[in-house]
Amino acid sequence: MKKQILLVALVAILASGMLFAQGAAETKAEGPIEITFWSLFTGGDGEFFDAMVKEFNASQSAIVMKNDMVKFDNYYTKLTTALAAKTAPDVVVVHQGNLLNYVPSGSLLALDSYVDATTLADFQQAPLDACRFDGKLYSLPFDVHPIVMYYNKDLMAKAGITKVPQSAQEFIEASQKVKQVTGKWGMAIDNTTGVYKAYTLARLFMSMLAQQGGSLLNADATAPAFNNAYGEAALKWLQDLVHVYKVNPTELDYDAAMNTFKLGEAAFYFNGVWATGTLEKTAGLNFGAAPLPAIMGGEAAWAGSHTLAIPVQKNQDPKRVEAAMTFIKWMTSHGEMWAKAGHIPTRKSVAQKSEMKALPYRADYAAAAAFALPTPRTAAWEEIYGTLSDKLEFAVTKNQNPKAALADMEQTVKNIIASY
Amino acid sequence: MIPGNKDTRDGIIFSLPFLVVYLAFMIYPLLSGLYISFFKWDILSTASFVGLDNYRTLFSDEKFYSSLWHTLQFVLMTTPTLLIAGFVMALAITGTSPWKGIMENVFFFPYIFSMTVVSTLWAWLMQKDWGIFNQVLITIGQNPVSWLTNEKLAMWSVALTTLWWTAGFNMVLFGAGIKQIPKEIYESASIDGATYLQRVRHITIPLVSSTTVLCLILQIIASFNVFGQVYVMTGGGPHGTTRVLVQYIYETGFKFFKMGYSAAMSYILFLIILVVSILQYTLLGRKEDA
Amino acid sequence: MNRFTFSKKQVLIRCVELLFILIWVFPLLWMLITSLKVEEEVITRTFSFWPANPTLENYIKAFTSTYIVNWMGNSFIVSLMAMLITLVIDAPIAYAFAKIRFKGRNILFWAVMGGMMVPFQVLIVPLYLQFNSFGLINTLAAAYLPRIALPIGIFILKQFYEGIPSDLEEAAFIDGASRYRIFARIILPLGQSAMATVIILSFINAWNDFLWPLIVINDTIKYTITVGIANFQGTHGTQYSLIMAGAAVASIPQIFFYIFFRKKIIAGIATSGMKG
Repeated sequence: MKKQILLVALVAILASGMLFAQGAAETKAEGPIEITFWSLFTGGDGEFFDAMVKEFNASQSAIVMKNDMVKFDNYYTKLTTALAAKTAPDVVVVHQGNLLNYVPSGSLLALDSYVDATTLADFQQAPLDACRFDGKLYSLPFDVHPIVMYYNKDLMAKAGITKVPQSAQEFIEASQKVKQVTGKWGMAIDNTTGVYKAYTLARLFMSMLAQQGGSLLNADATAPAFNNAYGEAALKWLQDLVHVYKVNPTELDYDAAMNTFKLGEAAFYFNGVWATGTLEKTAGLNFGAAPLPAIMGGEAAWAGSHTLAIPVQKNQDPKRVEAAMTFIKWMTSHGEMWAKAGHIPTRKSVAQKSEMKALPYRADYAAAAAFALPTPRTAAWEEIYGTLSDKLEFAVTKNQNPKAALADMEQTVKNIIASY
Repeated sequence: MIPGNKDTRDGIIFSLPFLVVYLAFMIYPLLSGLYISFFKWDILSTASFVGLDNYRTLFSDEKFYSSLWHTLQFVLMTTPTLLIAGFVMALAITGTSPWKGIMENVFFFPYIFSMTVVSTLWAWLMQKDWGIFNQVLITIGQNPVSWLTNEKLAMWSVALTTLWWTAGFNMVLFGAGIKQIPKEIYESASIDGATYLQRVRHITIPLVSSTTVLCLILQIIASFNVFGQVYVMTGGGPHGTTRVLVQYIYETGFKFFKMGYSAAMSYILFLIILVVSILQYTLLGRKEDA
Repeated sequence: MNRFTFSKKQVLIRCVELLFILIWVFPLLWMLITSLKVEEEVITRTFSFWPANPTLENYIKAFTSTYIVNWMGNSFIVSLMAMLITLVIDAPIAYAFAKIRFKGRNILFWAVMGGMMVPFQVLIVPLYLQFNSFGLINTLAAAYLPRIALPIGIFILKQFYEGIPSDLEEAAFIDGASRYRIFARIILPLGQSAMATVIILSFINAWNDFLWPLIVINDTIKYTITVGIANFQGTHGTQYSLIMAGAAVASIPQIFFYIFFRKKIIAGIATSGMKG
């Protein structure tokens, strides 16, 4: 009995030793500085990003970057709790739309004093400005990823469609033709929650509002502005594709939509540019990519932007900040590697590189960056975005009366904004 | 019982290790959480005191009520079915079947798997376009079913998954209860001409009532706290119709960073569970003592 | 009746039993089958039950491109420690509730049981801040420490201890044994089956924990398996064959655990349901 107790105690002590080991990176006297990064890049994106980090580490010996991937869904939870406890890593990814949650509380370092004018001038204006708050720069844009259109060339050829549709009516006609001739779906717009919410609906909705000259929220993002003719037109088109023309499946979730297009079961597919990488690797898929068409007449497309920021630490080590900046500068100036994942890089010098110009598809939609819609600047954005996705999901799958749907959405958004 | 005036001292010493842990990791955070519920706080900036505002908001929040209702739906769906399933399984494994050993293993086995494995697996089985359930239906000429994307079915699908996962646990509890019933009672009933079903109804069920109560209480508490499998399988969809209260609490606190509001809602959930458990115990627990 | 003549009723019942056995086993079987297929066979318009060319590539990918082995190791450590500590703190207080008449015993008992009803969400934020101030964020200890207070364990042990006849203790007391001796030498050995239940419940509880380790562990390599598998699904999107392989690998330890401790597990749960 005693021996057993002793053994158990020994094991317990050993185990606790392991348990309390933090494995924290220690800066040695000589040798490279180790900095840490949290990445929310999953799947194909993740692989390309890891490859870039590897190359960064290999290209110089002063800094070693340790990259840690978090599932996208949980990323901001982790980030926020870590920022609150001041245990965040040296560099973090923050979507441009989420910056407002972190800037006012002073969680991110202002970067103005760390970036020289030449580097700054190399960035595209619009994405860079989106990272400024009260005149100060809080992150550097790494990419712009708008929603674009992918189309199946084989299906189009079979159905005898020679021009890629642009307007709402053209899409309806083209999709109908595809369905009649080939029996496949015309469109594959996801409209139900699976692993992810039906964000595509919200993104298209926002884009179509802007294309008509309207917008989702008012200028200072304090009130909804979509309960009008613009909103109705956009919503009705999305609904009719499913219920009136029956060219888009119902209860289609994000992954299923992607798979439907990959299998060649749908002619037109809308998703962010990040899908390019996966689609490219699909054997037998003959597709093209283009900026989001002017479905409602104007040119505008929802776009997110990944930005790189430096969290404020309890004891900010200037050496680490410098190392972090070096990393950020390197990554942004090698944007052609990131473009392999489908994203649009933000540095002008990258756009000139031959490797960049040689990448298929990306060149076709690089122009979309110019029409990128910025995310409304409000702390309530996360909740609005998610709730609207749910409401649009309901409105589209259930063919709810558009006026009633929009009125309900408007009231909900008002309530949400008021609660912040 | 060993009498002695060292009782209080001993009692405290024996309780101490647990109480220290309990105080540190349950009581302190619990009170701290209550404190937070009176503030408006986004975890990064300084908190601002708002008194009972969070609770007031809660009572007029449509999402709170719908989430609570979804949780209730889950409780109502799973409690009777899991209890009955567990009981029927227990009958099977304590009966005369030559396969009762196999059944005991097979029905209990899923319980040891982790929530994410079970949820991921069943989400795949029920996947609308390529999952095997629908593949089978298509092969026999039926239409595919929207297991997880139809708001009328989604919660039932999650309940079904939960049944497969945990009914075995109830089975073991009931099985133990049944095994305790003396064989003579059954024998004399048979001699008197009682059929199998009559024996079950009049002997087995009454005599396992204490197990039933225990099962019921545990099942209800667990169902009120459901989150993981719903979140992994449906993400709260379609369009939020399976979003349970715990998911709403989690999102409010950790996605929208309304910490105070999240804390307030979790306290209301706590109160509800407390009231339900007390009611259960007083109504049912007493009965079987009589 | 001859052993080899079966009544219609018996045949019917056996068929029903067989049906349910197959139904219950099927999901796990399908998990294995899917994991052995190439992804193109999984997402396809032409359905096939068995893999045309069974492959182990998903398993290889699961092992080489993720930290799945680390995750299992982490889960083991976390669950093992949770289970040991739970036992160490649950048994004495259960004994106190069962056998020691001390002031305030009832109130304390209900206060402890009340802990079962607390939804964990209430505790997350304060706990996180608490652990952070001790510098324990991102350690495995943080993953299990909040979970070691297991009131149901106390309940189970108390039920059992109450059933131990007082004569044993009284006899030992008369012989001059102190309470501690009685506890260690008599009560504990007698309570082994109940302790087995507590051990198993706390192990499974800690193993299955999802939300807390998710929040408190930052490095992917330190994840527990439950968090890791969920992460796995998010990072590999629609690659079902890969996800199923990951899920299968993640379940191996539990399968072994079950095979070796099956009788104890079932006996333990059974004991807890019985009165005294």
